Amino acid sequence: MTVLLLKLAGPLQAWGSSSRFARRGTEIAPTKSGVIGMLAAAKGIRRTEPLTDLLGLEFGVRLDQPGQILRDFQTARSLDGRHSAPLTYRFYLSDAIFLAAVQGDAALIHDLAGALKRPCYPLYLGRRSCPPAGPVSLGVEDIGLDDALKTWPWQATDRYRRGAPRIVQLEVIRDARPGDQDTETHPDEPVSFDPAHRQHTWRSVLRRHVPVTNDLAESSGVIDHDPLSLLGG
Amino acid sequence: MFLTRFQINPARRGARKLLSSPQAMHAAVRAAFPASDDYERPGSRTLWRLDTPATATVYLYITSPGRPDLTHLVEQAGWPTTATWDTREYDPLLGTLQPGQRWAFRLTANPAHSGRKTAEAKETQRFGYVRESEQEQWLLRRATRLGFAVATQRDGRPNLRLHHRRTLSFSRGAYPVTLTTVTYDGILEVTDGEAFRATLTGGIGHAKAYGCGLLTLAAAEGATAGR
Repeated sequence: MTVLLLKLAGPLQAWGSSSRFARRGTEIAPTKSGVIGMLAAAKGIRRTEPLTDLLGLEFGVRLDQPGQILRDFQTARSLDGRHSAPLTYRFYLSDAIFLAAVQGDAALIHDLAGALKRPCYPLYLGRRSCPPAGPVSLGVEDIGLDDALKTWPWQATDRYRRGAPRIVQLEVIRDARPGDQDTETHPDEPVSFDPAHRQHTWRSVLRRHVPVTNDLAESSGVIDHDPLSLLGG
Repeated sequence: MFLTRFQINPARRGARKLLSSPQAMHAAVRAAFPASDDYERPGSRTLWRLDTPATATVYLYITSPGRPDLTHLVEQAGWPTTATWDTREYDPLLGTLQPGQRWAFRLTANPAHSGRKTAEAKETQRFGYVRESEQEQWLLRRATRLGFAVATQRDGRPNLRLHHRRTLSFSRGAYPVTLTTVTYDGILEVTDGEAFRATLTGGIGHAKAYGCGLLTLAAAEGATAGR
């Protein structure tokens, strides 16, 4: 199978799977519906058009840098200031970096990778106000989704990596396969993004941790230093 | 020359004051010498550095021309009934330094350069190097003059690790002092014994009163694996 790897990084991201009304939440990791929606935007599929083969993609994400939750209490008013929009809480992930992988048919994956390079509609990280920092596509790999998420280098910033230990355990959240134990379900499997009848079904996911070596660990190569040992006694 | 190690008890109030202000620590180190001759002699001066090998373990290292008496430090910031300090003669080691020797070293320094803030500014002032690459270059540029060369790793890069890179800010009387400090760990090779001895006794770079410039040596056997 062929895997398309994405680096989802930006000052703010917001990945909601069950937001309703005035409280617009975010998950701790990119949602499948959010990423499929981004791919559809890149390909120029309108919201009212069917998603067809995008529905069959397998999705997984690695939490390279978890970021922090940021709450925005929004008091938007109309331009003339007379009408106020409902007061809303909007939650964001700030300073987070994720490695997402999408697995599927080779021709489709190459097509999507090309579309991400020249997206038809603007790309954003879960919410329109959250543009990605830098190119989203990391390229196409001819390995399985599990291997891709296990072997791809750690994407966290240098500053974050310096403060981390030699070996870090990164959380991986991917689509569950038949036979997987300990799965959870989220209302996160997109069926249609049509604003008139938006539809999601349930998605089973599996959480695992993969070890990644950290070559920038501050302690790497720093040995205990005992100057008194040379002076005897 | 003498090399002294004193373990600080960070739970004590006196220790908090010393650890938070290099100015206060400088005064405490200065007070360890009855005669000014013991603190500073032509060609050698007292240098100190704080090392934190583990959480809540803080060592104060001092090299000095005379033998220090740290009783006041033990009383303020140590363990008066159980532990004092450890002073060793430094000269036997200094006497054996020769070109070609390899040592593991640690140095906390203030990498800086002087310049003008703006093109029109009348006076030059000192600016700290903040980027890791610049801080590394700062030491490598000086190494030859200081009597050593930083060893090369297998991958061709200098055997050097920079850590505890920080900008210290504290007050000196009524004025604020801001210092960029960085700790270098690595392997060096002695190239000029006389110059290297002067480096160990006289220190490297600026801000020597504030815990910078003391280079210490340790056996390099365990660390030569990178070669």
